[in-house]
Amino acid sequence: MIELRELTKRYGRRVAVDGLSVQVRPGVVTGFLGPNGSGKSTTMRMILGLDAPDHGQALIGGVPYAKVAWPLRTVGALLDAGAFHPGRSARAHLTALAASNDIPGARVEQVLRTVGLSGAATRRAGTYSLGMRQRLGVAVALLGDPGVLLLDEPVNGLDPEGIRWIRDLLRGLAAEGRTVFVSSHLIAEMALTADRLVVIGRGRLLAETTVAELSAGADSLEDAFFRITSQATDYRGVGAS
Amino acid sequence: MNGYGFRHAARMERIKLTSVRSTWWLAVAAVVAMAGTGAGVGLGYRSHTPVATAAQILNNSLGGAIAAQLLLGALGVLIVTGEYGTGMIRSTLAAVPRRRTVLAAKVAVCGGAALTVGLLASFAGYLAGQLAIRGTAIPAASLGQPAILRAVLLTGVYLGATALIGVGIGTIVRHSGAAIGTLFGLMFVPMIVAGLFGESGIQVGRFVPLLMLLNSISVTAPIPGLFAGWVSALLMCGYAAVAVLCGGFLLRHRDA
Repeated sequence: MIELRELTKRYGRRVAVDGLSVQVRPGVVTGFLGPNGSGKSTTMRMILGLDAPDHGQALIGGVPYAKVAWPLRTVGALLDAGAFHPGRSARAHLTALAASNDIPGARVEQVLRTVGLSGAATRRAGTYSLGMRQRLGVAVALLGDPGVLLLDEPVNGLDPEGIRWIRDLLRGLAAEGRTVFVSSHLIAEMALTADRLVVIGRGRLLAETTVAELSAGADSLEDAFFRITSQATDYRGVGAS
Repeated sequence: MNGYGFRHAARMERIKLTSVRSTWWLAVAAVVAMAGTGAGVGLGYRSHTPVATAAQILNNSLGGAIAAQLLLGALGVLIVTGEYGTGMIRSTLAAVPRRRTVLAAKVAVCGGAALTVGLLASFAGYLAGQLAIRGTAIPAASLGQPAILRAVLLTGVYLGATALIGVGIGTIVRHSGAAIGTLFGLMFVPMIVAGLFGESGIQVGRFVPLLMLLNSISVTAPIPGLFAGWVSALLMCGYAAVAVLCGGFLLRHRDA
């Protein structure tokens, strides 16, 4: 369970996350939706203690991330697909992270198989395609067999097969009783993957609902999304003329 | 067991250090630079008149430490900035959120590795110099003489401390190019500044890393005005501690 209490982050005068209070429950996939720049990534970074909130707190099972005894065995995170050294092999990258949380080496081979990178495990990660990097990021998230998964735009760069694989993987993890919190700006994909939705705009909570409820009053989930975010979108293009 | 600790973080850092090629290149380059300089100096002195003394040979054959300190300093910098440049730092801090533990592990692993490589390089410089003068009238410098052994050992210690100054500066600056530039600047600029003071420059110069290396640490006897070798080496360790502590303070309080 992830609990955000009045979570607030300012960068200078700009407020990136504004008094966000949300509970993310176990057993279902919770989608985290919002336009570009709405504060999704900042929120995720604060949950992991990478950025310090100016106000409020983010708790994992009741404690801040920094106080968790075995972080990787508690929370698995995919923040961005590039969070590795390009000169290090996928296996060495995973082995190093496993060592930090006393995770056995056999688990490294297991997650490499799960994400389909066993054959490329000795290659330097810098030579990977975007999809393979994303798979390595998922392998890191799964490494500690955690009860909470936090994924920021996991389908970026994946091919259709990879997208379906992620979807099935996340739904399977949630069905095992884990807490799965996935951000995305792809509404159609969220409609297929998520059960619950947390929608934010300009750092504020706009809706905390289920996919079924949100799309009930509109033609499509996409229309419903535009309706609730219409007042809270900072970056919007106009038609070229 | 109640959670991860320094031991786990250190194991992670050891795997990370040994699993990138740049580590090995920099380590090999440091040893080769010192061995090459030692051999070059020895060969140069073969035809030297009057015949060089053992102290002269030793003092000069350890001169490769000027290059080795830059290579091992860069190694220390890259252990930190390599993570910021690539995004790896977020994986590291997500795995070990206690940041002081991460930095302590980096200091222990990098310091241990750089000290080992530094000592190897220093002995390589000494040995190459001695091999190059074999069969000449130049007296051999034996490691059995305390002054000789001390110079060789302290040069290794100096190189290890330089790498830790690199770790500290890397943690403060976080950008590879800027951090390596800062480190090199700190190594050379104070020496030039000390030179501007002329005779009285020695008052300042005895605190300057490169001058300490060449005139106090890597020589059989310090030139007048400079500290004894072991004092200079301790001073270097002090600089490293200050750099690491500053880095640690910033690491704790900044967003990653």
